[in-house]
Amino acid sequence: MKWLLVLLVACNVDRGPHWRPRDASTLRFSTHQQVSTLDPTIAYDEVSVWIAHSLYDTLVDYAPGSTELVPRLAERWEISPDGRRYHFWLRPGIAYADGRPIVAADFETSFQRTLARPDSPFQQYLAGVDHVAIVGDRELEITLKHPDATFLYVLGMPFTTPLRADHAGDLRRDPLASGPYMLDSWDEGQRVVLRKNPHYFDPSRTRVERLEMLENVPRDTQFLMFEKGELDAAENLAAADYLWVIEQPAWQPYVHSAPQMNAFGIRMNVREKPFDDRRVRQALNYALDKQHTVKLLNGAAVASHGVLPPGMFGRDDTLKPYPHDPAKARALLAEAGYPHGFEIDYVTISDEEGETTAASIQADLAEVGVRVHITPMSLSAYVSAVSRPDGPAFSIASWVADYPDPSNFLDPRFHSRAIGSTNDSYYANPELDAVLDAAHAEADPARRAAMYHRAERILYDDAPWVWNYHREMTEVDQPYVRGYVPHPVWGRDYTSTWLEAPR
Amino acid sequence: MMMWRRIAWTALVVWFVVTATFAMVTAIPTDPVKALLGPHATPEAIERVRTYYCLDRDWFGQYACYVGRIAHGDLGESYRSKRPVAEIIEDRIWPTVQLTLAAIALQLLIGVPLGVIAAVRRNRWQDRVASGFALLGQSAPSFFVGTVFLYVFAYRFGWFPIGGYGQGFIDRLSHLVLPAATLATIGVAYYSRVVRSELVDALGEDYVRTARAKGVPERQVVMRHALRNALGPLITLVGLDLGLLLGGAVVTEYIFAWPGLGREVLQAIVEIDLPLILGVVLVSAIAIAIANLLVDLVYLWIDPRLRDRQT
Repeated sequence: MKWLLVLLVACNVDRGPHWRPRDASTLRFSTHQQVSTLDPTIAYDEVSVWIAHSLYDTLVDYAPGSTELVPRLAERWEISPDGRRYHFWLRPGIAYADGRPIVAADFETSFQRTLARPDSPFQQYLAGVDHVAIVGDRELEITLKHPDATFLYVLGMPFTTPLRADHAGDLRRDPLASGPYMLDSWDEGQRVVLRKNPHYFDPSRTRVERLEMLENVPRDTQFLMFEKGELDAAENLAAADYLWVIEQPAWQPYVHSAPQMNAFGIRMNVREKPFDDRRVRQALNYALDKQHTVKLLNGAAVASHGVLPPGMFGRDDTLKPYPHDPAKARALLAEAGYPHGFEIDYVTISDEEGETTAASIQADLAEVGVRVHITPMSLSAYVSAVSRPDGPAFSIASWVADYPDPSNFLDPRFHSRAIGSTNDSYYANPELDAVLDAAHAEADPARRAAMYHRAERILYDDAPWVWNYHREMTEVDQPYVRGYVPHPVWGRDYTSTWLEAPR
Repeated sequence: MMMWRRIAWTALVVWFVVTATFAMVTAIPTDPVKALLGPHATPEAIERVRTYYCLDRDWFGQYACYVGRIAHGDLGESYRSKRPVAEIIEDRIWPTVQLTLAAIALQLLIGVPLGVIAAVRRNRWQDRVASGFALLGQSAPSFFVGTVFLYVFAYRFGWFPIGGYGQGFIDRLSHLVLPAATLATIGVAYYSRVVRSELVDALGEDYVRTARAKGVPERQVVMRHALRNALGPLITLVGLDLGLLLGGAVVTEYIFAWPGLGREVLQAIVEIDLPLILGVVLVSAIAIAIANLLVDLVYLWIDPRLRDRQT
């Protein structure tokens, strides 16, 4: 299908940008996925969280285009010297989309709701909360069992949005909006339309009247619609379309890309042969040509030396990705007792990215004598397979963080406490555990950063993964989409955007 | 009497299909809960949700749980969206019904005349052109046809919208044309072939010779005498298509972002969303069974000989 499109599209002559919005009050875009719920207690997949973030405000949030925390529904906060008590003062005059005021007790309601729903994926984030005290309508104090330097990030996740206990509707379809936008209509599987929340306290965040997101639009179809001017923005383009766009001078100024909170690589079960030998793991790191992978992904990625993406607090930028050095890899393999390499099954997810990178891994490792057999699986089959201790020892690994803190990458993936759940490399290192535990409670940013540098160094040398790349989000907009800044946590962020023909 | 036996038989078939699907889907070594809760989930959370969906029981326990719910008219909730399956199907079936009926209408409106022309002008250029079309139509997969239609008629000429469902009658109709045409391509080809061969046979029958000998105009001979008898097998085909297409046209719905059952079930299969898969299979099985039943009834209606045999 791709080649056909490329061929047909290549015959076309007029494929320039559209200069005037069809309707300056509505921003139209699409997703190839489908929104599953508008309930903030449940929403966890990428598109549902995106909608949730537009509908539901939280005490704190991120500044546009950055991971810096800013007050949102809270006006200010204070953290007690022991790092356990978080005291918040709410912004005056905040209200839900129905006009009724947001009060401090509503934040406790959403905590209770999360804990009461057995199918909420967020309960673990509240496990550290000891109790919540409400002081009048405008103050609340959350006390933690132990100091936790990441707790403010948790309060930026949409599930902590204020909810009124007496809200009668089903939040899945009838959201109680406290954010810049409210629900206008939702034809499930087809389109979600959001419109400006008239009671929102900060009109500068709703410069576009309506946001219309079409669901379930395949990427090829998305691009045709975008070129026709039926969409104002297109993201995550198919390879051929993306390569074409970035080569067109007319389009270049309107292509955006931004690093995201993710990491991709190959996980190894370090308890199993041959991966129990660190030299083997390092050898594979030297064998993999990460720059080649980045090229395969049309440059919409950066090579990695660990799981912490560029721009992340605590990332040690002096570390460089393992160089592509097949000779060194062969030497390490020989030293470890595998002079002729070995045969291994590599389990990957059967999507475009998973299969492309698998072929490249197979070719790179063949160069050092490691013969890789590729086994593609559907996502759900893959998740079940790798979570069994006797499951595949060598497979694709990816991680998308919930919030931009090193602890949300390193603890779940490599702390020995997470073995059996998210640490599927079965990597256990008491030294790393101690560093991660200390960093989690440390309040001083400089000391905390130094601890994470240490953790990065340990993991770099021990190599429980073959570090590969961090994926970037890419989007192309029509020229009249102004003021757009992609966000490292939320991806698309249209809160600073407006539609106006450029002069 | 005969009818009741047919209905009981149909119910048995539907039950069997659902049970077989249940057995197959549960045999896949996956854990929907892990996929559902995402990679950050703790073991406690996974256990809790497993209990919630009866997944902590053995196979028979899960089956009993499921059948028990169906008996109460409850198809369960989708793992992913937490939305009642019955509601999802209710939402998705109407777009699929529209697409199915439009495609079958196109197949009949184009396929039958094409077949008649080919039969009447057999071995002449009209027949060859029709055969050529049929060959192309039958061999082109729908992802190819769909993409070409989308590019040529929507993107290049702008006659139709590129994708989606549309709102309001006219807009809906314009959104419907391309997916229906894509879906109908194979059917048009197939129907025209069947009509051609049946009609060629019928035109060689004695009653046609008699009619011609009586001086009935050729047009009437073909349309009134021969074609009527040639349409029998077509009814079976329409019935089968009706049942099949109501299960959802996965590829076509996907390409055109048409919000039907097919696209929904594709997503459900990828995510092993068991309640949704079973719900759609149940509905498709019932649709196919009903379509077959209808075909039999139509046969009885058009062919009195069958009626006599049954009583």
